[in-house]
Amino acid sequence: MFKIKKKIAVTLLAASMSIGLFAASANAATDYWQNWTDGGGTVNATNGSGGNYSVSWSNTGNFVVGKGWGTGSASRVINYNAGVFAPSGNGYLTLYGWTRNSLIEYYVVDSWGTYRPTGSFKGTVSSDGGTYDIYTTQRVNQPSIDGTATFTQFWSVRQSKRATGSNVAITFSNHVNAWKSKGMNLGSSWSYQVLATEGYQSSGSSNVTVW
Amino acid sequence: MRKPILFLLIAAMVMISACSQDKPGKTGQTESKESPVATSTGTTDKTEKTDKMTNFVLVKGGIFKNTKSNYYGLNGTLSNFYMGKYEVTQKEWTEVMGTNPSQFKGDDLPVEMVSWYDVIEYCNNRSIKEGYKPFYNIDKNRKDPNNKSENDDIKWIITVNTEANGYRLPTEAEWEYAAGGGQMSKSYTYSGSNNPDEVEWYWRNAGVKALSGDWNWPAIENNHVQTKPVGGKTPNEIGLYDMSGNVREWCWNWYGDLNSDSGSLRVVKGGGWIGDISSSETAFRGKFEANGFGPDQGFRVTRNG
Repeated sequence: MFKIKKKIAVTLLAASMSIGLFAASANAATDYWQNWTDGGGTVNATNGSGGNYSVSWSNTGNFVVGKGWGTGSASRVINYNAGVFAPSGNGYLTLYGWTRNSLIEYYVVDSWGTYRPTGSFKGTVSSDGGTYDIYTTQRVNQPSIDGTATFTQFWSVRQSKRATGSNVAITFSNHVNAWKSKGMNLGSSWSYQVLATEGYQSSGSSNVTVW
Repeated sequence: MRKPILFLLIAAMVMISACSQDKPGKTGQTESKESPVATSTGTTDKTEKTDKMTNFVLVKGGIFKNTKSNYYGLNGTLSNFYMGKYEVTQKEWTEVMGTNPSQFKGDDLPVEMVSWYDVIEYCNNRSIKEGYKPFYNIDKNRKDPNNKSENDDIKWIITVNTEANGYRLPTEAEWEYAAGGGQMSKSYTYSGSNNPDEVEWYWRNAGVKALSGDWNWPAIENNHVQTKPVGGKTPNEIGLYDMSGNVREWCWNWYGDLNSDSGSLRVVKGGGWIGDISSSETAFRGKFEANGFGPDQGFRVTRNG
């Protein structure tokens, strides 16, 4: 299990360092589209109109597909509707992004497949109708936009999987403030912020609209 | 916030100047007149002799001419120093240390996966091997109380013999001065050019095919980007190769407060094949835990001039 967790973390890290492949408006969740796979299995991803994306996958290695903003914000409310999130195996439905100076990768995980991510437990935060466990994990000597670096990942992981099929929000400031209260301070320079579907050695489908 | 840093930079530069011997070169720099290397048969190998003599540049000291440097406009003068033309290669590493930790193997590739402590040891071992006085004192038995890092579990206490003639790491000021072309600086953004493709290996040009767009780790990894043989690009104004790109290079200094005896990170300069292009600008200040290592982390050596 640890191996799987590690692999997923690496995948997210790797993908999180990517910069948008397509650019559109500055405010809608359409200026950042990410679609990465390590080539294993079959991944069919569609960059839909507006903030919509969909992906179906089968017997994959790693993949990440998501949509969001090129520049993250601590005060952003990320609205989304996951019409479909149906992983068979490992997968996350997560908000994630990263900051530089300090180099921090962060996640707000609303749903997952067979593996619920964990780490060093720091406490809980209530937000948007649910309670999230707060964890940190450390990445040692891993690739980053600054070159090889050792840095921390911040996690908020919902205690129970969030229901899909309706309009929901992630009030990111609640997490940022909770993290701050635990001494978990994000960096001063914001890179992208994405609502993403991520999978590892699994099959499934996902259809998400972000705004 | 900036002023105290500038004062510290000045202090560091003056200190460096005071600690170094002054042997002015005829021009901005000259090639080193190193002793020839004796072969195992006791004779002198012409090829090795030539290589040895051309592997260092005597960097003529002075004030910073590079207008893009963090040190530009500061009072203080650097003394002359020798700097390796190339990043230390795996062949050079293995000859001294006996093993090769690098992820990408090749005699002429820069050594990587080496921590700051590893390269301090290398400097001393190479000094001893070549008959120089070691520059560093290494105390492995005590933990350095000035090392504030939470991630560094080594924390050897390293002190210096400032007058020793052995190999050492460049200070950050020396590295930036040399990368910027010293007295012959043309104030390029990267070492030797404003066009990175002319002078450096980095994520866009060091893989199977050329990459475009923005920095993207999965694309870099899938394109098998890696280190390249040293000296493959155009040198900078004073004949130094790969100061930008290929591997990041360890410097002596703590990151942050240049004149401090404490800190949690050491300075790395020049960027490597992993990081974004901005990290290979000569003025970019990289940082890394002293016990950190990676396939983009190497170094080059200097000696007092």
